[in-house]
Amino acid sequence: MSEPDSPRWLDEIGDELRQEVPVRAAWRTRLLEDVARARRPVAGDDFDDRNDELPMIPTASVETAVAASRRRERVIVLHPLAGIAAAVVFIALGVGATLTALSWHARTLADSSTVTGKTPRPGTTLASNAPADREVVRFELSAPTASRVTLVGSFNEWNPVATPLQRDSSTGKWIVSLRLPPGRHVYAFVVDGDVKADPTAPRAADDDFGSANSVVLVGGRAS
Amino acid sequence: MTDATLVRRVLDGDTAAFTMLVDRHAAACTRFAMRMLGNREDAEDALQDSFLRAYRSLARYEERQAFRTWLFQILVNRCRTAAVRRQRRQRMFLVDDNAVASASVQPAAESTELRAELRRAIDALDPDQREAFLLKHVELLSYDEMAEATGVGVSALKMRVKRACDRMQWLLREVSDVGT
Repeated sequence: MSEPDSPRWLDEIGDELRQEVPVRAAWRTRLLEDVARARRPVAGDDFDDRNDELPMIPTASVETAVAASRRRERVIVLHPLAGIAAAVVFIALGVGATLTALSWHARTLADSSTVTGKTPRPGTTLASNAPADREVVRFELSAPTASRVTLVGSFNEWNPVATPLQRDSSTGKWIVSLRLPPGRHVYAFVVDGDVKADPTAPRAADDDFGSANSVVLVGGRAS
Repeated sequence: MTDATLVRRVLDGDTAAFTMLVDRHAAACTRFAMRMLGNREDAEDALQDSFLRAYRSLARYEERQAFRTWLFQILVNRCRTAAVRRQRRQRMFLVDDNAVASASVQPAAESTELRAELRRAIDALDPDQREAFLLKHVELLSYDEMAEATGVGVSALKMRVKRACDRMQWLLREVSDVGT
């Protein structure tokens, strides 16, 4: 009923027009991506663009950046001796940075050898140094032609930018490992903006927004 | 958890709380935008714009007002802007293919015909009448809430709703026996 004394035909029309219109998962994903990139609101600030026209961010920002970089161009003229001295300093800095990087890389390889030595399946746990009640779960998706893959799920509030996957160029697989608490976790991949279920995992019965989701159980018990 | 609590959580740095607000209000906002603009593409643009503006301006929200009304205030404006743009493009009302495809049950032919006539009738209303009609009889806002959302006085809104009802009744008379 829209009004206590409204005619029946009006109630019927209201009921008909009140039929739910589906919210597209792709739209929701795009919105949450934009929200994640947007200026974060803070209590007490005066920012208010509810009724303003939005600036044309994509093209304007590119043009502004190009213009700014052009404005920053400066011609520096060096005396020949000063130039030689500057070159020596740059070479010394470069050698130092290279040595530091090599040292860091060697340490990283040593630290990660315990994980990379394993061959986990998607949705299974890795031996890890995670907190006692959490387990490391590896998610992977074969998407050789994708340019961006992220993971959304109940563990990251379905935030499409919070958990990007890294591409393994040798296999075309996208991979990420997360520490998850025990229980049932529903998730999906976002492949170039499209939500896709994990083809190697069970489907969730409670698909949201008409898109298919997958399920992983951590610790062998569902929550 | 109330909308006001979620807003406070967002302002305290919990961005995920905004996701809950989106999930709570997206369906009604989508319905309104679709009915106002007549096609999903324009509606989703208006919705995207509305929710983003709401997020960025969230510190301006005052708890004395229902969050839904505050959100509709933004959405109504965005739909008005989109409608102006659409007029420029001279786009006609389209059936939402996505919604039809995702419907789990094929509606009866009679229901489909009535729905199509309803859509045509809604689309035939003047934009200000359509806006008032949808807010009143579909989204079920009170006249005070409508006044907040639209910036239009209660008396003028009542007049718009009445004219919209009269016109709807006239437009639909040939389809069925509504109003008799």
